[in-house]
Amino acid sequence: MKRLAIPLLALALPGIAAATDYIVQPASSTLGFSNTFQGESFDGHFGQWTAAISYDPANLAASKFDVEVTLASVKTGDSDRDSALPGKDFFDTAKFPTAHFATTGFRRQGDQVIAGGNLTLRGVTRPVSLDVAFKPQAGGAVLDVAGTVKRLDFGVGSGDYADTSVIGADVKIKAHLQLVAQ
Amino acid sequence: MSLRSNEHQWGSVSKFLHWVIALAILGNGTFGLLMDLASSPMQKVNWLALHKSIGLTVLALVLLRILWRWGDRRPRDEPAPRWQQLAAHVVHGVLYVLILAIPLSGWWYNSVTGKPLQWFKLFNLPPLGAKSDALRHFAHGVHEYLFWLLVLVLLAHVGAALKHHVFDNDNVLRRMLPFGRLRKPLPEGDRR
Repeated sequence: MKRLAIPLLALALPGIAAATDYIVQPASSTLGFSNTFQGESFDGHFGQWTAAISYDPANLAASKFDVEVTLASVKTGDSDRDSALPGKDFFDTAKFPTAHFATTGFRRQGDQVIAGGNLTLRGVTRPVSLDVAFKPQAGGAVLDVAGTVKRLDFGVGSGDYADTSVIGADVKIKAHLQLVAQ
Repeated sequence: MSLRSNEHQWGSVSKFLHWVIALAILGNGTFGLLMDLASSPMQKVNWLALHKSIGLTVLALVLLRILWRWGDRRPRDEPAPRWQQLAAHVVHGVLYVLILAIPLSGWWYNSVTGKPLQWFKLFNLPPLGAKSDALRHFAHGVHEYLFWLLVLVLLAHVGAALKHHVFDNDNVLRRMLPFGRLRKPLPEGDRR
């Protein structure tokens, strides 16, 4: 009986136990976005952010993402834009230095796992859905997430900058995380 | 008035292109010099976008004008001393070079700054060169001083046209005016 008990316990575990906790390898991970300006797309990246990732594809209920981004660390390849983004009309980092995303639940749509959660940006909290691609690797995993947010939902680019014929309305969010199991 | 030029008068296509390009360049040049009056960064972005769109339109019209001129005849030179006729042709040549070079230098300047180039929010054009912070100031100078050079050459062009119109009472200006009627040509013997 003792011999059987351990495998049985292991089978029962996923339902109770937490998902695997992972540590992000910052050097090989990126968190960024893309949008358009005057009809031309551009990419942005954040230099400073942290992510607490607990994930188990077989136990989505116990999985959780919690991400905090230092908004002033944004770089988009254009010095004018980089100096404008932390300003009052965009991220307003003096008042809201960080953005925060925390999952509230995961669901499956066919083969696709979707992470639902709340994004708090510029003092506004709204639900955001992210497509999750999780590939286990030796000792860890590669996690790619992608989603779209409407910048004006969060008041990013207010006043004159609200003109979406100049600055695109939909911002694509993209993260590529190299993970090591804890 | 015919579309094509004849021996004495420019055709309506040449007239139209001459005056539309003249107004667009002077208007857009003045507009370009006033960019810093924009009251907000976004207004400047929008003003610059309009300036670039008009400039690209000028470039297209200049190319069209050169093509048209290739296929069309030119009116004969009005009677004048040979040196004046030569000077007029040199000035015309320089003007053609400048009205091509000014929009092209603007396109190049825009490429150096790495900004998008969009025509009236409808489509984008590729850069003419690599982005370079080192060249930014120089490229802006080239674009602006070419315009001042144009203004200088225009003084000769406009001055000569007015001199012929007012003092010589000939058809030099009239043959290019939109609804200009030619003065009766002087009898052969009276020509200076």
